[in-house]
Amino acid sequence: MPKHHGSYHSTSDLKESPIKPKKTLQALTSAALVLPGLLLTSAHAADKDRINFQYSRYQEGERNLFGVPNNLKPISADVLHGSGSLSLTDRTKFFYSYTQDTWSGATPITIAPLAANSNNPVLRDNPFGGTTIVGASPLINRTVQLDHDLNPLRQDPRTGQITGQDSRSVMVLSSASPETRNQGNFGLSREWNEAAVNVGGGFSMERDYKSSFGSIGGRLDFNQKLTSLKFGSGYTHSEIGAILDHDASPYITKTAYARQIERKGGSEILRGDRQDWTANIGLTQILTKSALVDVSVGYTHSNGFMENPYKVMSVIFIDPVALNNNLATPISGDMRALIEQRPNIRNQLAFNTKYIQYIAPFDAALHLNYKFTLDDWGVNTNTFDANWVQPFGNEWTFTPRIRYYSQDAASFYQPYLFSRQTVQMNKFDAGKLPDNFSSDHRLAGFGALSGGATLNRRLSKGVNLEAGFEYYTRASAMQIGGGGGNSFADFDYYVASAALKLDMEGVDTSRPGAGNSSHNQHSAAHHQHRIPPAGIMFGHMLDKPGDFMMGYRLMLGRADGHMMHGSHKVSDPVIVEQGCSDTSPCRFTPTYMNMRMHMLDIMYAPTKWWNVMLMPTFMDMDMNLRRLNKAPPPVPGVHEHQGIAGHETGAVGDTYFSSLIKLISIPGHRVHMNLGFSAPTGKVDIELRRMAKVDGGLIHFGMQLGSGTWDFMPSLTYTGEKNRWSWGAQVSGVKRLEEKNKSGYRLGDLAQATTWGGYDLTRWLIASVRGAYTWQGAVQRDFDSFNARIGPMDFPANYGGQFWDIGLGMSAVIPGGRFAGNRLGFEWIQPVRNDFNGYQLDRKGMLSATWSYRF
Amino acid sequence: MKEIHYVMIKSMLVVSIGLTGCVNVAPWERGNLAKPQMALDPHPLQSEIQSHNYSSREAAPSHKSSTGGGGCGCY
Repeated sequence: MPKHHGSYHSTSDLKESPIKPKKTLQALTSAALVLPGLLLTSAHAADKDRINFQYSRYQEGERNLFGVPNNLKPISADVLHGSGSLSLTDRTKFFYSYTQDTWSGATPITIAPLAANSNNPVLRDNPFGGTTIVGASPLINRTVQLDHDLNPLRQDPRTGQITGQDSRSVMVLSSASPETRNQGNFGLSREWNEAAVNVGGGFSMERDYKSSFGSIGGRLDFNQKLTSLKFGSGYTHSEIGAILDHDASPYITKTAYARQIERKGGSEILRGDRQDWTANIGLTQILTKSALVDVSVGYTHSNGFMENPYKVMSVIFIDPVALNNNLATPISGDMRALIEQRPNIRNQLAFNTKYIQYIAPFDAALHLNYKFTLDDWGVNTNTFDANWVQPFGNEWTFTPRIRYYSQDAASFYQPYLFSRQTVQMNKFDAGKLPDNFSSDHRLAGFGALSGGATLNRRLSKGVNLEAGFEYYTRASAMQIGGGGGNSFADFDYYVASAALKLDMEGVDTSRPGAGNSSHNQHSAAHHQHRIPPAGIMFGHMLDKPGDFMMGYRLMLGRADGHMMHGSHKVSDPVIVEQGCSDTSPCRFTPTYMNMRMHMLDIMYAPTKWWNVMLMPTFMDMDMNLRRLNKAPPPVPGVHEHQGIAGHETGAVGDTYFSSLIKLISIPGHRVHMNLGFSAPTGKVDIELRRMAKVDGGLIHFGMQLGSGTWDFMPSLTYTGEKNRWSWGAQVSGVKRLEEKNKSGYRLGDLAQATTWGGYDLTRWLIASVRGAYTWQGAVQRDFDSFNARIGPMDFPANYGGQFWDIGLGMSAVIPGGRFAGNRLGFEWIQPVRNDFNGYQLDRKGMLSATWSYRF
Repeated sequence: MKEIHYVMIKSMLVVSIGLTGCVNVAPWERGNLAKPQMALDPHPLQSEIQSHNYSSREAAPSHKSSTGGGGCGCY
């Protein structure tokens, strides 16, 4: 995050102060306050500490398959982002960010002549007559009829007759089950009067792609801070372990990577690694009192495995004898799919120029950017974009934006290739093919136009809301210097985002002495009532009308180990026999399952006896399966879980909102009631991809992201405290308010009773012990559309049960210093006794972690 | 085409470096420059999203690459 946030608040604070300074003085003071950071591009300055939460959704439009019927869902991605910067000392800052994205949808794996009919619709007969399109399956090894000039010829599918030349190409799509990526960044920065340095690092983890990176950079100010010189360098190491598509793998030619492919658990894993070094240098220069310019040059050197391991090149092998024989018409081309081959080295240069002009009549700023990049793959790019940043009063900012981008094709990009040789026993002369080839449409020549807007609203008490929208359209015809000739790959997408940005105003101690008294008040106020253990929800209330609390809650749950029936372990043959249904025995069982839930707690006190809460959630889960011993053998046409890859889901979960009402508040004892509701914002119709010509169908009940129904969530909480002791009890429940959700089922109701005791180890640290009893009903009804029914997790009776848990927790209210007033809590929930309904994987426990801060 | 780019870029660099010597904006004249709308990146959360999406759909080096970053963005 850039440091310029500080300037925003500096000026705003001045405007809000009761003594309004004159305009000149205001300008002077604000300038003096922010100048040290004015010229920085990154987040490390002496401005206020800030925490951001953001959710965004990326949604692509449908790809052009030239009328081939299909029901493939276009790519979409849900992204959760949290970041912040915190002052460790007056001049040192710590910054962090965490991003989690989950994507799913149909992705192009290659390009083929349209006449090859590679996108094959999958039809299923309806029980009531007629057929339904249930999918599309890529056919990557085909015979293509060609004329002597190698133009593809279209054939009538029924008669086989040639109906004419068809030189159109089409992208061949393959669907994918959801996948999740996690990225964390951390860094430190140190500021001096006319210089700054920063170091950072982080990681990005996906099932098939892991990278770690580090960077170092700095800034030097000259010329009374009219000029700033910035420099930085970074290094990234990435390891690729791509599990090749089990269905497609037998049809893909992998000879070029034979030595990099490892076989494990029935899967083929293509391994590689790559390294990226970057260096950049830039200059920011104030031109006039209303304009500045920023120029920079960046260099990136990459080497190693730069292919996309899931993209293949369609190579059409033609018998040279047939080609030379003028009588042979048409010529049969033998189309094969080869994993793409990119060069192992890439050097890129990027030149950025930014000009920013203040427009006095509107109090707005015009930002003009131009970027030119070139590389040794032949990809030269031009980007122009313009932003108009328009504040409205002190609270709103509206920023419309437009961008144009154009790139040349990589020298080795081809939609598909011809090779004049025959393939005998799957063997061919690789020397007759180019060294490098790719049909990834991102390496083609094209242009793109996008536009959007950002809206910012500043609320009181350092709370800012931001919403953004962008629409992007790619068009081969928009490439600078002529159309790229690949309009078949054109697509569009939109991105919508919402963010909450919080300034830690109470934590500002940049002026020594100024904040001390308020800190003491803060810590005293926060210590007045102890917050219950971290695993308790809706457990406390705000006391002062107008108070606002922001919190974040992380819950990590794991199920692992043995399969259980009631409270006993069960063996595989028993699960096969009894875990599913009489008609379909179980074939698979989970080996482990992880659940992560991120939750924002936004709480506001309109009066001292009534609080309202909003809690958006973001879930992600992963599960791995194994085949049961003594499972019946695979049956053609029935879904089988293949290979070592597990299942992943993740996106927005259900959203909770509630009213908390204080019933009793006497010294040492408090009782409040919570009337909460859960809105069904989490998906309950996530599907597994089609595998081995069999639909995956809806993913297991427990891997769907919400309940799918409106739920009532009441609770009653009692808390007490005396001297160093505190205690409490809560009863809570979840009652589903609808018969069924849109996938036909309803999760079981839930009831919980819990009680805890806490002891103040120090003035600011509390240890707690808690006991909890939970009852949850089984899933009611069933999926009303196809689910593969491969194991116990696909049957409604195998959910819920009775659970007895012990919680051990610590919570802290930071009493003073820079982070005064922040509350942190951790609690480990250890199952002590479980009585599962049906057949379920054993529970291993749950970790709850909370942070909250009152504004 | 390439040559034009080089000339443009070089001249921009030269002009901007040249300007450092002749511009003089006194600290008390920098009020407008200090406004939030004049920040080099007024909406960093948005820039981060845009950069990630562009880099997963286009072949240009990401402008965030200098700070390090990873991930395939293979979709």
